[in-house]
Amino acid sequence: MTRVVHQVLSGAGPHDAVTTQARAFRSLFRSWGWKGDIFAGHIDPRIASEVRPLDELGTPPPDALLLVHYSAYAPRLRRVLDLPNRKLLLSHNVTPARWFWDYEPTVAIHCQLGRAQLPEYAARADVVAGVSGYNAAELGSDVVIPILFDPSSLGPAGVAASGGPPELLFVGRLAPHKRQDELIRLIALLRRHRLPDARLRLVGEPLNPNYLAALTELGEQLAPGAVTIESSLSMLELADRYRGAGAFVCLSEHEGFCIPLLEAFHFGTPVVARPVGGIPEVVGDAGLLVEDRDLAVVAELVASVVEDVELRAALVERGTGRITAFDRDHTASALRAAVDRTAAAPR
Amino acid sequence: MRPEDAVASAREAAVAARARGAYGDSLEGFAIEPTDRVSTETLMEWAVIEPDESLMRSTRRAGAPITWFKRLLLRGMRQHFNELTSQESRFNLHVLVHLAELEDRVRQLEEENARLRSGEAPEAPEA
Repeated sequence: MTRVVHQVLSGAGPHDAVTTQARAFRSLFRSWGWKGDIFAGHIDPRIASEVRPLDELGTPPPDALLLVHYSAYAPRLRRVLDLPNRKLLLSHNVTPARWFWDYEPTVAIHCQLGRAQLPEYAARADVVAGVSGYNAAELGSDVVIPILFDPSSLGPAGVAASGGPPELLFVGRLAPHKRQDELIRLIALLRRHRLPDARLRLVGEPLNPNYLAALTELGEQLAPGAVTIESSLSMLELADRYRGAGAFVCLSEHEGFCIPLLEAFHFGTPVVARPVGGIPEVVGDAGLLVEDRDLAVVAELVASVVEDVELRAALVERGTGRITAFDRDHTASALRAAVDRTAAAPR
Repeated sequence: MRPEDAVASAREAAVAARARGAYGDSLEGFAIEPTDRVSTETLMEWAVIEPDESLMRSTRRAGAPITWFKRLLLRGMRQHFNELTSQESRFNLHVLVHLAELEDRVRQLEEENARLRSGEAPEAPEA
């Protein structure tokens, strides 16, 4: 009998990491001869042809499994819990509301409600998993279905640009917990004390226009002309940004996983990051983890990554090897085991 | 340098640089502060609902005409929205005033309780 696994998301968007995973999982399911659609409570019009509205889920056949991706509060998602089907909950993590109250209250409310609601979802799921051990542990589980990283969608690693001024790169939503403000201060220190022509490139969708304006102004104030902020890049453009970067620097305060770290590994960009949330699991020994709050230490570390050829080569080599831990086979195996476990769960 | 030695080396370099007078920069400006506990004063600020019309926009590619249309609708509905936000702000502010009064009363009662427990005479009520 053909297995049916429907995936349920709170929201779906063209650049959203959860949606990307759901699409990759659907592709895996189809390669195994399984069936199933993706349903979301809110759908960005740009991806409406690939995702169905949650209302259309209706009451699936009893033997259909539901894979619930949880990453944000969605009131209508609660209905899914009442369906009699077996459920696998996959937590992508919800950012704590404390990062948003001052900058985007609506997002803060959704985060607060999402984190409050998550334990109920976990209690009513047959199997609970996280995309990282950190996410799973938050819900008392040790089942991990890692992010499926498909570098083919990014294009070949290519050759890193050389000769130009060193450029630091960070890719991620322009949001408070990602601490782009710290990165701007870091580039200001680097330029004043270590690398006078260093530049910073921030790639990501802004939380809102006001937040973007505040970051832009800070950049002009502390490092005039040295900070570039971009959003809505194509894959080709994003690949160029990675290839041109001297280092990928992540000073986020909260990350459930952080896919751009894997993208940096793929493009041979050395990684410097704060060891928060799921980051240590993703980075392993392939990047430099620095917990120091003193930006002078981070500046010295980044400068050595840019200048020390031996260090740089070691990080690039380790990064290339690290990607295999998140390849298709690895994730497919974990996903299939979790789905089998859900299907066999006692009722 | 081996990756395993890099962080320790950076720490040493930062200490040495500071000893030379480096990294003493004042990097003021926009800085993120997570909100762990919201004060009553902050709640008062938030209680007054003042939506920023410039945030109303389309996320679609080439969405400028849609943004224009959305803002036009907003302007057409301004009278109604003003009524909504004023009623909401009035309710929020009154709740907060009550909350502030309750906080004051609780503080007074706690102080009075502490004095009674320590054997001090209670303060005479105000005339």
